[in-house]
Amino acid sequence: MAKNYKYSFKLYSSWNYENELEDLNKYSERGWQLVKDGMFHRKFVKNENIRYRYQMDFRRIEDKGRYIETFREQGWEYVDSNFNVCHFFRKIYDPSLPEEEYEIFTDRESLHEMNNRWARIAFVACIFFGIMALLPGIKMIKTPSVFLLLNFITNMVVFIVLLRGFLIMRNPESKKNRRDDSIFITVFLAAVILGASGSIFLTIKRPNFQGEWISASDEVSIDNDHFVDFEVNYPDNYYLDLGIVSKKPITFKVVNENGESVYNITDSNFHEDDIRLNLKKGRYYFSMTCETSYHLSYELH
Amino acid sequence: MKKNDPLSESYYYILLCLAKGANHGYGIMQMTAELSKGDVKIGSGTMYGATSNMMKKGWIREIVSNDAGFERRRQYQLTDSGLNTLRAEIQRLKRMLENAEEV
Repeated sequence: MAKNYKYSFKLYSSWNYENELEDLNKYSERGWQLVKDGMFHRKFVKNENIRYRYQMDFRRIEDKGRYIETFREQGWEYVDSNFNVCHFFRKIYDPSLPEEEYEIFTDRESLHEMNNRWARIAFVACIFFGIMALLPGIKMIKTPSVFLLLNFITNMVVFIVLLRGFLIMRNPESKKNRRDDSIFITVFLAAVILGASGSIFLTIKRPNFQGEWISASDEVSIDNDHFVDFEVNYPDNYYLDLGIVSKKPITFKVVNENGESVYNITDSNFHEDDIRLNLKKGRYYFSMTCETSYHLSYELH
Repeated sequence: MKKNDPLSESYYYILLCLAKGANHGYGIMQMTAELSKGDVKIGSGTMYGATSNMMKKGWIREIVSNDAGFERRRQYQLTDSGLNTLRAEIQRLKRMLENAEEV
């Protein structure tokens, strides 16, 4: 027996929801009837004896009973909701009825209101991602790194795609010569997934720690045996905040696994933040040499 | 929409239909089509949005009727405030028509 259900995983942008409705109508014509509409997938059940037309409404419902009844009165059957704001309805298609029978927004004002409800959400999200792009963008000027660049690009792509959606929703007439914009929604999703997983990966794999070396005694002499080791998992710019207060000069080094020092300073009074270290993948350690009382603090990020 | 803003066609016809007595959404839709000889349609999305907004403004209220005995159904009823809004709108439309005739 042939399967009597199937899934579709095509992605649609909210601002071109007409594309999705057109596809749902085509599916129905071929005998596949929508039963569930999720964000990333739709489930269809085989029924060739009926043909539906679909509509979508976007709003927060205060009284679901009254809402569904208002649609049922005009022959609309409630199908499914997405996130409680995106509601799908269907009506049995009768070719002898005028096309207006399959509209749920019959005046300019109510269609405009729906577009505005969506546009408001897109606007808030747009501002959010704009700020999320701006923060690493500004930080990057002072301390460039792969990590910040990735954050910046991801949020920027999301920002641009949302801004485009917002502008389309604000001015639906611009959709007249619309193309299939699955490319935008694919870029959007790819950016979110790559950016989010990339950021998590880079955060986990990034050395980020701080510490202190203190000795109050003038008698103690230390010779290269104070060290902290750490591992760098991917080449990037890393930043060191260093503070030294000591009676006699201290030598502080960052040494790689071949014993070469990639950073080296000898001073008795020193303080600097964001010292840029361009580190390759591999193991490193901090080492310190001093003859007298000292106070040294460091932070690598 | 402010109180004195012109009503949209859908809002106007909903209030007009309810002026003749409480009615449910479908009744309003049919009556509107009849009155306007099929020119004005009120789809479900428009109907729900308009009734929700007008309930918030206090122009109409929801009642559950039992008069058919077997069918409990939501109906909408015009309030005094709704009636005033409708009257003001009719005055405005009349004035506009009169002005058109003067020109």
